[in-house]
Amino acid sequence: MSAPTVVAPTSNQELQEAVCACSHLAVRGGGSKPGLSPEQPAPVTLDLRLLSGLLEYDPGEFTFTARAGTPLKTVAATLAEHGQYLPFDPPWVDQGATLGGTVAAGLSGSGRYRYGGVRDFLLGVRFVDGQGRLVRGGGKVVKNAAGFDLPKLLVGSLGRLGVLAEVTFKVFPQPEQYTTLRLPQPSLEAALATLATLARSSFDLEALEWVEEEGCPVLYLRQGGLAAPLAERQAALRSWLGGGEPLAAADEVRFWHTARELAWVPEGSLCAKVPLRLEQVAALDALLSAYGAPRRYSAGAAWAWVAWPAAAAELHRALSRLQLGGLLLKGQAPSPLLGIRSAPTLAERIKGVLDPFNRFPPLG
Amino acid sequence: MQHTIAVETLGPQGEAMVKAIETCVHCGFCLATCPTYRVLGEEMDSPRGRIFLMKEVLEGQLESRSALPYIDRCLGCLACVTSCPSGVEYGELLAPFRERAEQERSRSALEQTVRLLVKETLPYPGRFRLAVQSGRVGRWLRPWLPAELGALLDQLPERLPEAPALPEIYPAQGPRRARVALLAGCVQQVLAPQINWATLRVLARNGVETVIPRGQGCCGSLSLHIGEGEQARMLARQNLEHFPADVDAILTNAAGCGSGMHEYGLLFAGHPEEQAARAFGARVCDISVFLDELGLVPPAPLRRPLTAAYHDACHLAHAQRVSAPPRRLLGQIPNLRLVEIPDGELCCGSAGTYNLEQPELAQAIGELKARAILSTGAEAVILGNIGCMNQIQTHLKLAGQPLPLWHTVELLDQAYRAA
Amino acid sequence: MAQTALLDELARSIPPERLLRQPAQLVPYESDALTAFRSRPAAVLLAATQEEVVQAVRLCHREAIPFVARGSGTSLSGGSLPIQDGLVIALNRLNRILHLDPAQRIAVVEPGVINLAVSRAAAPYGLYYAPDPSSQQICTIGGNVAFNSGGAHCLKYGMTANHVLGLKVVLPDGEVVELGGASLEGVGPDWTGFFVGSEGLFGIALEITLRLLPKPALYRTVLAAYDSLEAAGDAVASIVAAGLLPGAMEIMDALAIEAAEAAVQAGYPRDAAALLIVELEGEPLQVEAEFAQLLQVVDRSHPRTLSVAKDDADRARIWKGRKSAFSAVGRLSPDYLVQDGVVPRSRLGAALAAIEQMSRRHALRVANVFHAGDGNLHPLILYDGRVDGELERAEALAGEILQLCIELGGSITGEHGVGVEKRQYMAALFAETDLAVMAELRRALDPGELANRGKMFPDGEAPALRAQGPHPLERLGLLSRE
Repeated sequence: MSAPTVVAPTSNQELQEAVCACSHLAVRGGGSKPGLSPEQPAPVTLDLRLLSGLLEYDPGEFTFTARAGTPLKTVAATLAEHGQYLPFDPPWVDQGATLGGTVAAGLSGSGRYRYGGVRDFLLGVRFVDGQGRLVRGGGKVVKNAAGFDLPKLLVGSLGRLGVLAEVTFKVFPQPEQYTTLRLPQPSLEAALATLATLARSSFDLEALEWVEEEGCPVLYLRQGGLAAPLAERQAALRSWLGGGEPLAAADEVRFWHTARELAWVPEGSLCAKVPLRLEQVAALDALLSAYGAPRRYSAGAAWAWVAWPAAAAELHRALSRLQLGGLLLKGQAPSPLLGIRSAPTLAERIKGVLDPFNRFPPLG
Repeated sequence: MQHTIAVETLGPQGEAMVKAIETCVHCGFCLATCPTYRVLGEEMDSPRGRIFLMKEVLEGQLESRSALPYIDRCLGCLACVTSCPSGVEYGELLAPFRERAEQERSRSALEQTVRLLVKETLPYPGRFRLAVQSGRVGRWLRPWLPAELGALLDQLPERLPEAPALPEIYPAQGPRRARVALLAGCVQQVLAPQINWATLRVLARNGVETVIPRGQGCCGSLSLHIGEGEQARMLARQNLEHFPADVDAILTNAAGCGSGMHEYGLLFAGHPEEQAARAFGARVCDISVFLDELGLVPPAPLRRPLTAAYHDACHLAHAQRVSAPPRRLLGQIPNLRLVEIPDGELCCGSAGTYNLEQPELAQAIGELKARAILSTGAEAVILGNIGCMNQIQTHLKLAGQPLPLWHTVELLDQAYRAA
Repeated sequence: MAQTALLDELARSIPPERLLRQPAQLVPYESDALTAFRSRPAAVLLAATQEEVVQAVRLCHREAIPFVARGSGTSLSGGSLPIQDGLVIALNRLNRILHLDPAQRIAVVEPGVINLAVSRAAAPYGLYYAPDPSSQQICTIGGNVAFNSGGAHCLKYGMTANHVLGLKVVLPDGEVVELGGASLEGVGPDWTGFFVGSEGLFGIALEITLRLLPKPALYRTVLAAYDSLEAAGDAVASIVAAGLLPGAMEIMDALAIEAAEAAVQAGYPRDAAALLIVELEGEPLQVEAEFAQLLQVVDRSHPRTLSVAKDDADRARIWKGRKSAFSAVGRLSPDYLVQDGVVPRSRLGAALAAIEQMSRRHALRVANVFHAGDGNLHPLILYDGRVDGELERAEALAGEILQLCIELGGSITGEHGVGVEKRQYMAALFAETDLAVMAELRRALDPGELANRGKMFPDGEAPALRAQGPHPLERLGLLSRE
């Protein structure tokens, strides 16, 4: 079996030509999410790392447009120069994750708790569909109700509906400072109860992470904003919770860096994202404990990051039994979509329009 | 809204009618506060829909007959006027439209009977009293009667209270601060005469001398709202004639009457009395507005603390834009706690004689109001209109919670007497 | 006739008072809040259950009858305008809040639930539903979903799409699918997000899972009056440049102020050329600190007057005025066209100056109300339809404004949707390929183009930038203009 050919387009036109020239292809960006590539490598891989660079950025507008292959690192650095940031806090910045890959995977990080995820900040896209057409969806302004929301369709589309060429995002001003409270919980039930009460409180949290430390749940609550009132705000939160220890500044930075980079996932381990409702956490946690799988619950347990020690097929079966879905990010499986599927007939119909010749891997 | 109505053919009220239609921009904000839209959930029974239908009829695009059922179902509560951002004077379209329609339509024998009973009985306290007494006798007929007549019977009270004759003058207590004339009303004199007496006492306590002119009669609002313009004018003329000019204000303690008399100008549009009617209407004032402006002698606490729900009568809150004065007055009673009724802007379903003409809808709307009141946990209901009092009492009873109901002045009276 | 077969079959299970067929019943449904267009449906179904909606859609599919869903009929773009001789499926009776989970922060509602009702139901738990279109006391969630409705408070937390987590929908061919769920996150393509804003072309939402947010502990609302729209716009730019992220930033011009005051008596300063409303929201300590910053910035912008809302009642009053502004211009003019263009925020000043010039050229007054924070303009073109040629001039002016928005790199609609009104401009905003792909996606779900036929997409012929003479649908006899 010959090694797959790698094509690295440097322009939209080359991208279109590359798509038209192949009968089956896959896409890669920074390679931080190999689980999304098909198990059987496609004959051609489109490497988008050369399709990189900021195209438009007006800090006064709080929007930017960049090529899909642009590394998050580059974007974050440029935004930071103007006191702005990506509010959806995408993961694997250090591993070279790109804008396009992040959108295609539909990934957000811990910070999405405050305002929203990647789908809430993507304004516009240009992508190449399976017929080689360069299609524009959405726009470049923060409010737009014209036409179908193609950007949302491409969020989480895993490179199966089209290849992203350009993306336009909305950004926010970066909080001046952060502070984090560490709150150990005696049990899973206690952690869930704390989350439930926090859900109804009016504290503005940047992130709400749930970590297992020595078999016990520990909640990390991050607050951000103007520096002056921050300490007092944390004190108010602490008083309301009846506990919690503030992290020192250096520890604070390190903790959230680890979270963002998923540095706690053992090297070579399978890694998956499992969206959750609060009432599903207990069952999933029991399963993960049984397998000894390290995990973290992010954004108030809106999803779990799972480091799976066994085979992908077993995770798929287990999730299906629990009526959960999952996305395999590191590791190999016939399909990166694990567990239960959503809207299969719809997927088929949309795929039939955007990729009638099945140039991209299947969405099944 | 655009239209092709020939204004000239509509008579003296035509301009006001067309202006209302033109001002409507079809935004739909009125649907939120319309009791019939709330109950029936269809566009024809919303103010926006009715304006559209009336427009079509006036343009000759739609037969009056087919639109009338929906126009008939309108309460005339005018909540839509309060909520309309464009300033559509819906009442100035509805009332003349109904009057025109009345002349053209043919009513069933049953409908005519009900209307006759209403027209010839309610405005005349003597006749009404008799009718109530004989109606109670005829209650055994109830199961065989059609809904409308049955509804009539249902509204009748078990016992009629004592109604001593009102004096011609009720003097002020202490130095006199003002002199007013009081409209004694019609139905109220029979069903709840205590309201007028409480009114007189409260006014006296506040240094106001009250004149109760002889020869006055029903204000004509009931007739006006069922489209009987001629009878309304006939009744109104009596009041134009018999109310004195040398009083500071003409007071009423019934929201329906106050609202009707404010419309006297429109009622007499094109008639020789138009000027006088308009002037009269301008002098009419609800008792709560008058006392609020005058400044109350501070009332004492009630004998026992009370939590009560204040109900806004449509014809006070929407037709006259009076919602703050009664609350301010009641707020001065030290141990009275007022609670707001959820969806307070929705009519109780009384709306003149609505509960006789549209018994099922009035029932549904009344039920909603009773439920809303009961949800507040209030011990009593305070309001400013006899029609509401009757309707809400009926539905609280049906809901199994017959809370006491009092007029605003009755609470003030209670407070003053507790001292 | 196909309609008869459809209606007869529906009549077998729907009582006549819920299957409206008489002219007097149909007439009020002929338009929504865009009164320039009227169209008479064959019937209106007042659906009482989700099953009835599904049954109706399936029958329409079988008989190839076009249909339009309708909530409260408050669309400003003709979104609930019926198709001539088609079916209107009224959803306003599907108004139950099925489930509210304060820990999960979601509410599952039927499409006829009124927007404000969601916040009212969530209030006891300290939660609320953030998207607040100005018609929120009557507009329905179903309509909000179809058009991705916005509102004044979209700056910080987004529009309807950002608050819809899951949907149960019936596709135009009658298949019922479940999209998304109660979790904030999902895997795979964002089908839910794709459905929101599809203007009814992808079917009808039967159940909607909404995201609830904690009610801000503190609001600080500032009202600043300026001598020019430009000055107000500059103030907005400074606020944004200072790194502040208010919950809302709105501007009204003199005409809009006049209308709103006449309607609501909000206490707006009457002689101002422009009024800026800025609202901060969040935790008290943070908001107070931001507020101090905000006052400094606003002060430096030299407003004529500056006031701060004293309490909830004051705040409510300020917003009531702003939210009544559209309909209130009905007091200034017999008719108006409201536009919904978007320009990049930095080009707001240029856009407003250009609109003023256009308004003078066409000799028509334009009142301006807009979401300054996100560049979403609402020019209200005032005209009198009875005067010969004024409607045409108004439409010409409207077209120029939309063209301007496109040229400045914005959009033809920020929140009202394309509907009937702006179909032609889609071809100026999107390339042929883009429209072709959208059309293919539409036909994949609705080959017969039954759901909201004739809306959103420009017709097949060469797109004109503004309608001269009869609208293309009028030429086909599918619509009539009042």
